[in-house]
Amino acid sequence: MDNAGTPGAAVRSGAQWLVSALEAEGVDTIFGYPGGAIMPVYDALVDSRLRHILVRHEQGAALAADGYARASGRIGVCMATSGPGATNLLTGIANAFMDSVPMLAITGQVSSALMGTDAFQEVDIFGMSLPVVKHSFIVRCAADVAATVHEACAIACSGRPGPVLIDLPKDVQLARAAAAPWRSREASAVHAAGAVNLDAAISLMSRSARPLLYVGGGVGIARAETALRDFVAATAVPVVCTLKGLGALDPDQPEFMGMLGMHGSPAANHAVQSCDLLIVLGARFDDRATGKLETFAPGARVLHIDADAAEIGKLRGADVALGGPLEHMLQLLAQHSPVATEDWRAHCASLRSLYANRYDAPGDDVYAPALLRDLSRAAGPGSIVACDVGQHQMWVAQHWRINACSRHLTSGGLGTMGYGLPAALGAQLACPEAHVICVSGDGSIMMNLQELATARRYGIPVKIVLLDNGCLGMVRQWQELFFEQRYSEVDLSDNPDFVALAAAFGIEAFAIERRADVSAAIDRLLAAKGPILCHVRIDPRANVWPLVPPGKSNGEMMDSAA
Amino acid sequence: MRQRLLITLRDTDGALQRLLGTAERRGFRICAVHAELVESAQSQVAITVESARDVALLARQLLRLHEVCDVCVA
Repeated sequence: MDNAGTPGAAVRSGAQWLVSALEAEGVDTIFGYPGGAIMPVYDALVDSRLRHILVRHEQGAALAADGYARASGRIGVCMATSGPGATNLLTGIANAFMDSVPMLAITGQVSSALMGTDAFQEVDIFGMSLPVVKHSFIVRCAADVAATVHEACAIACSGRPGPVLIDLPKDVQLARAAAAPWRSREASAVHAAGAVNLDAAISLMSRSARPLLYVGGGVGIARAETALRDFVAATAVPVVCTLKGLGALDPDQPEFMGMLGMHGSPAANHAVQSCDLLIVLGARFDDRATGKLETFAPGARVLHIDADAAEIGKLRGADVALGGPLEHMLQLLAQHSPVATEDWRAHCASLRSLYANRYDAPGDDVYAPALLRDLSRAAGPGSIVACDVGQHQMWVAQHWRINACSRHLTSGGLGTMGYGLPAALGAQLACPEAHVICVSGDGSIMMNLQELATARRYGIPVKIVLLDNGCLGMVRQWQELFFEQRYSEVDLSDNPDFVALAAAFGIEAFAIERRADVSAAIDRLLAAKGPILCHVRIDPRANVWPLVPPGKSNGEMMDSAA
Repeated sequence: MRQRLLITLRDTDGALQRLLGTAERRGFRICAVHAELVESAQSQVAITVESARDVALLARQLLRLHEVCDVCVA
């Protein structure tokens, strides 16, 4: 894509160049909120085919763009005015940065002559966002706007994706110019694995009696799920996944051991602790996955495969490292790798069987893990789940049947409470035919509750399951277990009436409290044509198990408070 | 341990800020900086950093920055 050498190039305003460049990039949806310093762009939108979704808070715009990007695999775009509009985007930008989500954030800025004078609604969003963007631009003249948009989109989507910010002073939006020549950058060349390293990797695998794949979010980002599944089919190597790696493998595949780490499955954690070769695939030894790093996979050699060379050796050295596109690496390795031994496969199968999830909790009140399992089964493999952050997020990871990374939207790196609802809205707009289910908690939902108005305005048919335990459950759980039950500021028993609140936004809503009500509730949720909220009262004392205590090895899981 | 890095940088908005911020956030104390515009659009930057962490890792992290053209551990 380029405009180099176009004779008689049109003269347009910077705002018009922005809009036309977004259209040329194939952007169809923008999430945003207008204000003084971005008004010329909003004026240009009137004549555009871009669909603008007016959120009710800029954080909602950034998180909705994130959900749109994860579900669709395309860049998510959000936009806000200068000052508070821009700073309100920051949490969503940081969220995208931590989880490597391709995003373009556009901020209005005060006019160039006023920059640096503490003008009304002026903040240095460029400087504030430096640590949480892949790259950022301040556009200084209207002629550069289109080229900057194209470069920003290329950067956001290439290699390891991430958010890119364009800060656009108001005078640049208004000025008229012909566009400067631009040419999209060629796609990054495929890096062939060095022959020596590939040989070394195959040698490591050949000498291993107990190989294990440790799969992270990089597999989904690289769209390498099929290559991974082919590799596993060829080698029968057992697989553990990080929170973001869930969905890379079909949960029914016999090699799938579950999620590893703090709230991982005992089968996965025990397999990690006893393997002799850890094949790290698009994962980064995050502390939530490894527990005490020094004791993680203590007897294993490490084969680290990652598209981002900076991740290799960051926290644990690799015996052999392969940098480059994961799909290509997996295809190469699959041709030469041996099949995992029968003894090791049988051992892993016995772990899976021994530690299979149980759903026979006593009592009549709603048991959240069982509800989530049943809902995911009923919603089907094409459904998308977007969760908030807290206990329910871990229950989703443990009990939802996730069969594609792009259908599990979770704030893994930043852990952003308030992510679920806007992310679900973005995902639903990207995938209008899918069931999109937001699983939230009574703490998280209140952080972006205003986006119910967005759901209502556009008739976005997300299904919200609000698990209400009347407290900040994960914090309460930690205070119970690690702070001698000294409960501090976790009580939310004065929550509003969520059904009435949803109704006030014009959203259909209902409540359940008993286990016997779950089946009918799932039917009602899935049959709804518009947005719907199901308020589910759950036991405030419920905990997420198992749990690796902070600072402990993954081999030291707790499975109760006793 | 102190180490010196030589970096070629495209001269864009915030390039030096981004470079130094990355080094600090990644756990490297900046002991010395020398930056010079050598061409109209490029700067040469020499930084001396101190950390218990491997400087090669910092070099790889700096190379991820869009405006960094080259990093050399001196």
